[in-house]
Amino acid sequence: MFRILKGASGERVFRTATISALVLLALFFIGIIVSLLAYTKWDTFISALGSSEILSAIKLSLMTATIAAVISMLIAVPVAYAISRSSFPGKDIVDSLLDLPIVVSPVALGAALLVFFNTPLGSAIDDNILKFVFSVPGIVLAQVTVISALAIRLLKSTFDGIDPRYEQVARTLGCSKPEAFFRVTLPLARDGLIASTLLTWARAVGEFGATVMLAGATAMKTETLPTAIFLSLASADVEKAIAVIFVLILIAVAALLIIRKTVGRRYRV
Amino acid sequence: MIEIRDLSLRLGDFNIQDINLSIHDGEYFVILGPTGAGKTVLLECVAGLHRFKKGAVFFNAADVTRLLPEERSLGYVPQDYVLFPFLNVFDNIAFGLKQFKISAAEIKKRVDEIAGILGITQLLRRDTRSLSGGEKQRVALARALAPSPRTLLLDEPLSALDLRTARSLRLELKRIHRQLELTTIHITHDLTEALEMADRVAVIQDGCVEQVAEPEAMLFYPDGDKVADFIGSPNILDCDYCRNLGQGVMEVGCGSLKLTVAHEGADIKKVAILPRHIYVSETRPPGLSVNGFQGLISTIESVGNVVKITMDVAGKKLMSEIPSYIFDEMDLVVGKEVFIILRMRRIRIYESNR
Repeated sequence: MFRILKGASGERVFRTATISALVLLALFFIGIIVSLLAYTKWDTFISALGSSEILSAIKLSLMTATIAAVISMLIAVPVAYAISRSSFPGKDIVDSLLDLPIVVSPVALGAALLVFFNTPLGSAIDDNILKFVFSVPGIVLAQVTVISALAIRLLKSTFDGIDPRYEQVARTLGCSKPEAFFRVTLPLARDGLIASTLLTWARAVGEFGATVMLAGATAMKTETLPTAIFLSLASADVEKAIAVIFVLILIAVAALLIIRKTVGRRYRV
Repeated sequence: MIEIRDLSLRLGDFNIQDINLSIHDGEYFVILGPTGAGKTVLLECVAGLHRFKKGAVFFNAADVTRLLPEERSLGYVPQDYVLFPFLNVFDNIAFGLKQFKISAAEIKKRVDEIAGILGITQLLRRDTRSLSGGEKQRVALARALAPSPRTLLLDEPLSALDLRTARSLRLELKRIHRQLELTTIHITHDLTEALEMADRVAVIQDGCVEQVAEPEAMLFYPDGDKVADFIGSPNILDCDYCRNLGQGVMEVGCGSLKLTVAHEGADIKKVAILPRHIYVSETRPPGLSVNGFQGLISTIESVGNVVKITMDVAGKKLMSEIPSYIFDEMDLVVGKEVFIILRMRRIRIYESNR
């Protein structure tokens, strides 16, 4: 059966199949970008980019994503370290629970957040501490909810890859546990920290589902870049949508390039 | 003095049971045992890296069982060195000193001093990843010694090094031990290393201490079959007479076998040499051969990747052990006449009659 898959011919067939898959996928992405380019006229593209609505969306997206990435990393570093190094009963359950935000649809997460802010506790927070629903802090909260799980995953694999013996040696050289963490483990995790920060930041820039549920899609107020695409297409302004798509692609490419430049080959993403 | 009392600990596959050891101040103490015997776990217990429920560790009669590693003032050199890759050699050595809150000038002075002792002054600006194995080991030692610990713990310090580097570091370790008057605990699976370096040896197997003795006593009088098996039946010869040849050399007679050994002092009663330190050759070795003899092969036995050959030499039975790949290149058969050399430096001597 399947004689063609045996021996040298099998090797050839296998090689051709895998490489064809790669080429087809590359063609698919190139095709999409080319079709975008074909659709765009240069001057309308520039004027769309320069419009105050898009500029404010760029500003809002970069600001919220940066705050969200910083908050996520501050949460993710201790959590990832705890999962990587300590063992406690029920650790597997906690570990799987933390993966939920990666798998569950962001729309569902956003809707859940919205429901939470309609409970007595949630509305008390919303009314008295910080207004999240249909406001800018809501964007940050939605982004943090979606990306912190990703940050934890990336950092956990970073901490997993650091031999605990480095900390042990630091301890015998006079460091307390926290000192060993800050003097040894964090420097060793540098590449992973940079890569995770940039990846979660880029993911936050692109976040739409949870954001639109919690913060809404009010032009010029809670309008991030993905929301701008949604609003432009909803009002049949394709030119503007394409302009924003290119801005998002540009940001993503920039993030990946920075990761490659700073972390280089030491950290594969 | 370091005392380990009734220490038991199960950790994954490792299981150490009822360990009792006392190590004197300034002693070079070697813990010898095969891979997986629990040596590293034991050392890590002394360093405070494991918590254990049963047993206690004392430093100078003070119970340190519950002390954290950073409170024990130990120098610890793990296997494969574990140098900090994000720091250069200088900063690796200075790592422990920076915990002392002393000035940068004092840190530099101490790092220079310790680098001088270990002969690595020229490496201080180097990236640790560009160092050779021997250099890494010296840096790891310097890092452990810089904060002036009272005790030095060495986990297989020479096993990852090539033979020549290992030999020079062996001498170096002994010199540093003497110079700094450190209590040293050294772990190894290598019998020769233990014999050469130890003031006393503890043989540990399957998590239990089988014998604690001076190297000669262990070699000549192994305690039980486990130790004897591990040592691998050395050739032991009783000596009838000995004559001082001067310059630290003695001639001893064991029956009609006359041996030249490096020794000064009292008369020698017994000599021992490990099978692996007896060289066998089909042709007469060139040059002056100290302790060179001729013998007849009486048996050949292949065990694992070594071949054990027993020979009749001047009325005595001697066993040699050679690696299979070398044996395969030679043409050795029972009854054949061969030339053998007993390496002078490897002959161990025993003075008192027990």
